[in-house]
Amino acid sequence: MNTNTGVAAWITRPMLITFALLVSLPLWIESVGLYQYLGVEIVIWMVFALGFNLLLGYTGLPAFGHGAYFGIGAYAFGLSQLHLAESLWLGIFCAMFFAALGGAMVATFLSHRRGIYYALLTIAFGQVFWFLSIKWHRLTGGEDGLLNIPRPDLDLGFVSISLASNQALFYFVLLLFVLVVIGLWRLIHSPFGTVIKAIKQNEMRTAFIGYNVWLYKWLVFTLSASIAGLAGGMFAMAQESAYPDVMSLHASGFVVMMVLIGGGMVSFWGPVIGAAVYFLARDLLGAATETWLLWYGLMFMAVIMFKPEGIAGAWQGLVKRRKESARVEKKPFTG
Amino acid sequence: MDFLANLAPHLVNGITLGLLFALIALGFMLIVGVMEVINLAHGSLFALGAYVAMTIIGIEPQWFGPLGEWYAALPAGLRYSFALVLAPILVGLVGMLLEFCLRGTYGKDPLFGLLLTFGAAMVIEELIRIIWGSGEQVLQTPPAISGAFIWNGLIWSSYRFFAAGFSVLAIVMVWLFLERTPYGAIIKAGAHDSEMVRALGINLSRLRLYVFGFGVALAALAGIIMAPIWGLRPHVGVDAVIPAFLIIALGGVGSFGGAVVAGVLVGLTVGITGAYASEWSLMSMYILLIAVISFRARGLFGKKSVLEN
Repeated sequence: MNTNTGVAAWITRPMLITFALLVSLPLWIESVGLYQYLGVEIVIWMVFALGFNLLLGYTGLPAFGHGAYFGIGAYAFGLSQLHLAESLWLGIFCAMFFAALGGAMVATFLSHRRGIYYALLTIAFGQVFWFLSIKWHRLTGGEDGLLNIPRPDLDLGFVSISLASNQALFYFVLLLFVLVVIGLWRLIHSPFGTVIKAIKQNEMRTAFIGYNVWLYKWLVFTLSASIAGLAGGMFAMAQESAYPDVMSLHASGFVVMMVLIGGGMVSFWGPVIGAAVYFLARDLLGAATETWLLWYGLMFMAVIMFKPEGIAGAWQGLVKRRKESARVEKKPFTG
Repeated sequence: MDFLANLAPHLVNGITLGLLFALIALGFMLIVGVMEVINLAHGSLFALGAYVAMTIIGIEPQWFGPLGEWYAALPAGLRYSFALVLAPILVGLVGMLLEFCLRGTYGKDPLFGLLLTFGAAMVIEELIRIIWGSGEQVLQTPPAISGAFIWNGLIWSSYRFFAAGFSVLAIVMVWLFLERTPYGAIIKAGAHDSEMVRALGINLSRLRLYVFGFGVALAALAGIIMAPIWGLRPHVGVDAVIPAFLIIALGGVGSFGGAVVAGVLVGLTVGITGAYASEWSLMSMYILLIAVISFRARGLFGKKSVLEN
């Protein structure tokens, strides 16, 4: 969160490194013993975590039921493909629109709350959506969810590309990821971003300066929900199904964990790192032991106890210390 | 009259459920009050209490030699009562361990405490899976309180009445402890302004340790009572902790009476909707919360809390 650079660049070096790493991912992921589909999953959750961090890391709002909007996106994508028309753009639009709609509704109740009530209410609303997804059989298919959601072709007007292979899907998902990253980066470094960061620091003072805090909180929540919906829609496409599990309290907790472990509180890239760490931990620990959640949970507790700024925070600390020690060495010896 | 007679069993079930929810919520609220931590592990510790009690009741005679044989020969009621005392104490100790881990988060963003306990909840749930397996288990109740009886032409489960009575007893005891003893006064003062309590020369870290242990022990106690009604699965805690959140938000953070009233209200709502649309019975409490919160921002009896800043 480097705020003192004046006008931020459209593209930055970390961005290029991340994109390059991800673009080349399908080339080397199999040679390190992983599989193509994992890349799709990681990038989808990166999008989800980035959108969520707008709320948690930048506005400082402790939302704890965000899986709901991811789930709404997944269901909206599935339902639009199954009942309306098999079209990629329609599906993505529905996923974002309905998640934003749900988010906007909830945000209307939430936005004049702070702290513990905010956390409690986001949990309560998250559970309402989770419950609906299980009980509204006719629409959602109950606990089994929606099955056999098609993966529509990417139709660009002049050419149509099939996304049936995981590699093709990966590049499509990556394209959306790039758009989200650049969009969020611009947003955070815009006047809007400055106001939400001010809300994080002191909501009351921000209101006294004359900003409509309620509206900003409402907008951030709605926007964050729509990005969650986008991620959910991609997830439904990747899984070719949508089910209530992604809306549960656990899924909502996982995204918070990703943001925290990665260091979303201090860095734009925290959620991206966190999502990658989560999936790598799941696959590597999961291969070694059946009770990987135990070890992941312990690791998470250790991060909160000893390094609450997460991986990105630890990295920033390291860089700072190295710079300082370099400066000390360069100083002429006066003794 | 016919209408009331049909509804009566649902009302009894609802009140029983509500009282147990209130018991969970009380422990949860003590922790929120004194530590300013939303304890997401509360539900897992609730489940842990029930599992530990199940093991204590069912100790095999060969485990501890002659002592084990003597123990296994005791009447079921005695073993059950023993578990009812010992299991909350053991889980309370686990809670104290968790509080020890939490110490680094005091004074920071309340989110860190919440997340640490979320991690702890995952760990405890996995531990339950490792020790007791993922399948559904049964907590044996002694014959004196199980079974059913017929009254006014309706069948009533004895256990529900035991559970309701026991919860009332526990809630009254907690209330007496908080209102009528010097320790209770310290805890209440700590919930109001912990810095001031420290300034008065009271060992705040020890107070926090004990309050956390106590709050968690209440969750474990509720877990033991609830287990025969809900069944025992590793993730049963989520079903318990969510209503506890709702009750706190509904009754108002920091209000003891509010938690009890809200607990019974939630229980009744769930019970009555259960009578007419059982599918939606758990949903109704969320609707209740949203309805109340829309009109009364801090719940029914809530006052302004430091946690809102």
